[in-house]
Amino acid sequence: MQQLSSLIIPLIILFIVCYGLIKHIAVYEEFVDGAKEGFNIAVNIIPYLVAMLFAIAIFRASGALDFILILLTPLADFLHFPAEVISMGIIRPLTGSGSVGVLAELINSHGEDSIIVKISAVMFGSTETTLYVLAVYFGAIKIKNTSYALQAGLMADFAGFVAAIVVCLWYFS
Amino acid sequence: MLNKIWAGLIIIGLLFTVGQDIQDEISNTYNNGVIQQISFSYAEDSPQLLTLILDNTQLTATIKTDQIIHIHLDTNSPVHLQNIADANGNKNRLIARITSKNNTQLNLLLPELHWHKLRSVTQAAFDMAKFAVKLAIGLIGIMALWLGLMQIAEKSGLIKSLVIIVQPLLYWLFPNIPKDHPVFGSISMNMAANMLGLGNAATPLGIKAMQQLQSLNTNKDKASDEMCMFLALNTSSVQLLPPVTLIALMGTQVSELIVPIVLATSCSTITAVLVAKTYSRRGAKQDKACNS
Repeated sequence: MQQLSSLIIPLIILFIVCYGLIKHIAVYEEFVDGAKEGFNIAVNIIPYLVAMLFAIAIFRASGALDFILILLTPLADFLHFPAEVISMGIIRPLTGSGSVGVLAELINSHGEDSIIVKISAVMFGSTETTLYVLAVYFGAIKIKNTSYALQAGLMADFAGFVAAIVVCLWYFS
Repeated sequence: MLNKIWAGLIIIGLLFTVGQDIQDEISNTYNNGVIQQISFSYAEDSPQLLTLILDNTQLTATIKTDQIIHIHLDTNSPVHLQNIADANGNKNRLIARITSKNNTQLNLLLPELHWHKLRSVTQAAFDMAKFAVKLAIGLIGIMALWLGLMQIAEKSGLIKSLVIIVQPLLYWLFPNIPKDHPVFGSISMNMAANMLGLGNAATPLGIKAMQQLQSLNTNKDKASDEMCMFLALNTSSVQLLPPVTLIALMGTQVSELIVPIVLATSCSTITAVLVAKTYSRRGAKQDKACNS
């Protein structure tokens, strides 16, 4: 699996460049022409990213998440799924590095074979860091009013969260 | 919605922080202004070096002068002692005051510490702001690389042939975009990168698609229906191969997770599409009502 992932990118690059050569494209010139946009986009993103990440940092550092977990544990017990996975469900749309941290912590304390880690890993793999993607994508084109994009993204995350629990409990039972 | 969630994160975070600090003040977690009586013994016959018991933990300390003692801490020491030391500049050295001392006991006054949690949360916010800029600057290189490759793929007609395969699906997802528009190329490249778990390739390609969607957008300040649909597709991330980070964390275990991941991600993607479609229909109806 690891090999496959590390092979894909070089193959794609090779394929694009070769295909360009076959079609008689000035590959170097076209590359530079396309690449010069990169700087402006990154700079455009900065204010959006700062706004989003600093709010998330305050929330994370405050430890409010632990408190929310305590509140939600009875619900998890009632619905018969491990409460530990809720932390992944909450942190996943907020921060990518944070969710890696949560997953590493769960692997450390429960082991890779536990159902808790499996559910969390599936959650991690099946959804994206919604708020980060939103800040980056809309930041790049300077859109502040995001309309209903967040609602759609968060509902998708919630569906992925529920699906991860249901699928794992069924698949690994 | 975004405004409320954003403000909510900040308000909940700060209120919660202040709450913990007030609780610390009430229960005086940091023993502010409390003189503690501590028994100690000299280590290795040295008149300066000694071991003492503080908060049920054995610690070593060095007497500097008659009044000043340095208590040595490491990562296993009690957290609140580390916090006090950290607030005074050195995480591994807690400087305390000796008020009185005899051969087996000394009275100790630790430095005061107030609003510790609030301070560390503020620091985290500042650090993250710095990190956000670093993150954006770090994107420049990878962004330039993929945008350059995209340009080659576009000019050589490679993307057009890729689009033909997924055309019917894309036309259904984005009904209002002219059928021969180049944005379909960027969208399908972005989707392909997402499916293969190539997160850092998907982002530049997605941004390229967003720029092209913006050129079609009638209100440049507000996200169009197509943008919302595209974002929802990206946040729910259709995936066939697990992301590289997950492979790194889980090792070979990851292969048995592929089926559940594909099932779960299908659920989230279908939800994303349905929600986006519902909102856009509702919006279209409202527009009609306004116009008539």
